[in-house]
Amino acid sequence: MTELSQELARAATMLDLGRYDEASSLLARVVSTEPGSSRAWCLFARAHLGADRYQTAVEAANRAAAIEPTEEWPHRLASNALMHLGNHAEALRAANESRRLASSYWQTHVCVAQAALAASQPALAASAAAEARRLAPNEPDVHFLSGKVALARGDLEAAREHQERALALDPTHSGAMNELGRIRLRRHDTAGAIRHFISAARATPGEHIYSRNIDVVILRTVSRMIYVFVLVALILLWVPAVAHVDKFPFALGFGVLAAGMAAAFAVMLARLPAEARRLVRRTLRTRRVATALAVAVGGVAVAFAAVAFVPSSELPQTLPVAVILTIAARIAATARLRSPIGRNQQGAPAGSGRPAAPSGSRPPGSPVGSDQPGSEVTGR
Amino acid sequence: MEPEPAVLESLRNAVAAMPDDVPLRLHLAALLLRAGQRDEAVRHLGAVLQRDPGNAEALGMLTAPAPAAGPHPSAAADAPVSPERTSPAPSDPASAPRVADAAGAVAGGSGPAGDGLSVADVSGAPGTPGAPGTPGTPGTPGASGPGGAEPDEEDVTANYDWSQAEDELRDVLPTMFVDDAGSTSAGIEEARAYDAERAGLTLADVAGMTEVKARLEAAFLAPMRNPELRKLYGKSLRGGLLLYGPPGCGKTFVARAVAGELGARFITVSFADLVDMFVGRSERNIHELFEVARRNAPCVLFLDEVDAIGQKRSQLRNTPMRSAVNQLLLELDDVASDNTGVFLLAATNHPWDVDSALRRPGRFDRTLLVLPPDGPAREGVFRYHLRERPVAGIDLARLAKLTDGYSGADIAHICETAAERALLDSVRRGEPRLIGQADLEAAVGEVRPSLGTWFDTARNVALFANEGGAYDDLVAYLRKRRLI
Repeated sequence: MTELSQELARAATMLDLGRYDEASSLLARVVSTEPGSSRAWCLFARAHLGADRYQTAVEAANRAAAIEPTEEWPHRLASNALMHLGNHAEALRAANESRRLASSYWQTHVCVAQAALAASQPALAASAAAEARRLAPNEPDVHFLSGKVALARGDLEAAREHQERALALDPTHSGAMNELGRIRLRRHDTAGAIRHFISAARATPGEHIYSRNIDVVILRTVSRMIYVFVLVALILLWVPAVAHVDKFPFALGFGVLAAGMAAAFAVMLARLPAEARRLVRRTLRTRRVATALAVAVGGVAVAFAAVAFVPSSELPQTLPVAVILTIAARIAATARLRSPIGRNQQGAPAGSGRPAAPSGSRPPGSPVGSDQPGSEVTGR
Repeated sequence: MEPEPAVLESLRNAVAAMPDDVPLRLHLAALLLRAGQRDEAVRHLGAVLQRDPGNAEALGMLTAPAPAAGPHPSAAADAPVSPERTSPAPSDPASAPRVADAAGAVAGGSGPAGDGLSVADVSGAPGTPGAPGTPGTPGTPGASGPGGAEPDEEDVTANYDWSQAEDELRDVLPTMFVDDAGSTSAGIEEARAYDAERAGLTLADVAGMTEVKARLEAAFLAPMRNPELRKLYGKSLRGGLLLYGPPGCGKTFVARAVAGELGARFITVSFADLVDMFVGRSERNIHELFEVARRNAPCVLFLDEVDAIGQKRSQLRNTPMRSAVNQLLLELDDVASDNTGVFLLAATNHPWDVDSALRRPGRFDRTLLVLPPDGPAREGVFRYHLRERPVAGIDLARLAKLTDGYSGADIAHICETAAERALLDSVRRGEPRLIGQADLEAAVGEVRPSLGTWFDTARNVALFANEGGAYDDLVAYLRKRRLI
């Protein structure tokens, strides 16, 4: 083994173990002494990719491509880095180039599918994923990506089948578990989604996206409950004006509404696994959720009181105020729920956005089989 | 051959990513010198000397004559201005300090500097403005004009008697720590518990960590020390101990202390050794390692960062690494079966990434959580890292209070940052000053605890992956700190 190949093997091992900074350090020395080694530049690009230094990764990949123009790996690396940089058009161009150079290599098709997905070209992504499946039918990552493509196209059944196939091939594929959670969510099965996210977090605790997704789902559920609560309250507010009921039944109506919402939440909670119940309880105790709930319930209570306690003659003037108050309470509560809080309970930045799809079942950037060019195709 | 700019850029990025990698900095500095970018090279050499005072290679490069010809002047002009050179020119040229980067770094980084001795003095007379043979602009310190700084640097390092200066200053230095009672070395031994290595350590050398020591004693040391009782109670010696916890909190040191307690030899296998094992015939390498351990029995075989070698096989598609894990399992079982006096210890930051096969009974079946240092230990770590720096009036108790939740490595970084602050301030003011409490407190404000990511993952483990109560101690700690 020559000294160069030994150093490269050492670097590849470090990359396999996810030690990107150590690998970068070693490879920086290697490329400075052997600037003509395409493989060294490729590994260097991969190290930068793993360490989230995407621009440098593109530069290193371009160096490798310039040295070895017929090699497909540099283009895949460049495509991957460009995707992270948001340059989807260039990422797709690089992916297509890698496929042109090695069309019999399933990773190049996966690369095209990923880039096409990022570039919002689901049809192209689907055809590339199908070709990848044809070339590597027993590769879990291929099915994982196919499932993501199917989900992006709205084909929930196909997405589920692909992810289940990925899990059958690799039962620890936490990315597939997470995708199953997202599919459940699209089917409005919150409890089922949380179960899948918990499975993913259990399989790969180092990946914070899964626990963040649980958080996001809980917050979304709270937000929806506030929405339903306010909607029913808005309808109930009209009751005194229409039916001329007394204060007591009206107040009772408010109580029943609040109790009904709490009961619905309790039922949902009961369907969750114990871990999720703990998380929900903790989330409800956080300041922003507690404030949002207080604002919503408080606003609706004040509106109900205003309607209940004014004389019937003043109801036409009071009712619009109560309605506005109720809507304002809902807007304020939702805004509070969506306010940035830096880090959530699991430590990941929590927004109120959609559950995220990680790139794979291992910690971000953790490569698979990096000894072979192209193992980073799924970002696992 | 002059290095390509892209290569230099790559190396700069790598150094930015790994600022403490001394060999990498040296390599970059060497290439920069070759490219004629001496200013930047000197800055990196200064950084090397901050991290490794007395590094012969760095000193050699600093004292090496600058190239007489080539692209040097323009390159120097183009080179980024180092922080040490950004000070505005003093209005009075006569008082203007003329500080070479390297000299500044050495003066502030390793040797005590004293009262009444300006940096201009330290730089040495031959380099003062207007001295013969100095073509730089007189009275404009920090100017990196062509050929201006380099002769000064050579003169500084070649002619200045650092030892004499240190001797002169030794007596005028004030008390280092406010709670000192005459001794400046108290607590240093304790502090070594976190980041120093020496032979013959025992648990008594480990500061704080009472709980860890107690559990270590109960789970590992007591059965080892009492063979008769062990036999009486049928306690098996099978299996090893897996130390886990956040990075930079003393796992390796605890392992060394265990070896000291047992009076055994200590064979450590670091991450770099593990990587070397994977390059080539990994099974044979691992087998040889265990053979060496058996030949040296009684000994403690310590596998540092065992998650690297014992990563879940499901995560490894690289065949040599998979077979390395299999070989490791085989060797562990061998050690367990004939019990040849090889005590197995391993450490990891991510026990959840370790193959479950490695954690089965008879292998690494006992775990011990090594947590961030407590108050007394943090005091010791501060004392240790400040022991060779010019400090005065340091309130260690207050610093320890301010750094709750910091790792030993974080505290080392705080000391480094404080030293850097004092150094830059000395350069700005033109005279050296001691590192004070204010520097350290400002550094505490700058350096954030690095354990956040680890605890984020640990929280996930505690919430979702504490199957069979494997991480109950971690859960208890997180609950105590209200992290879950």
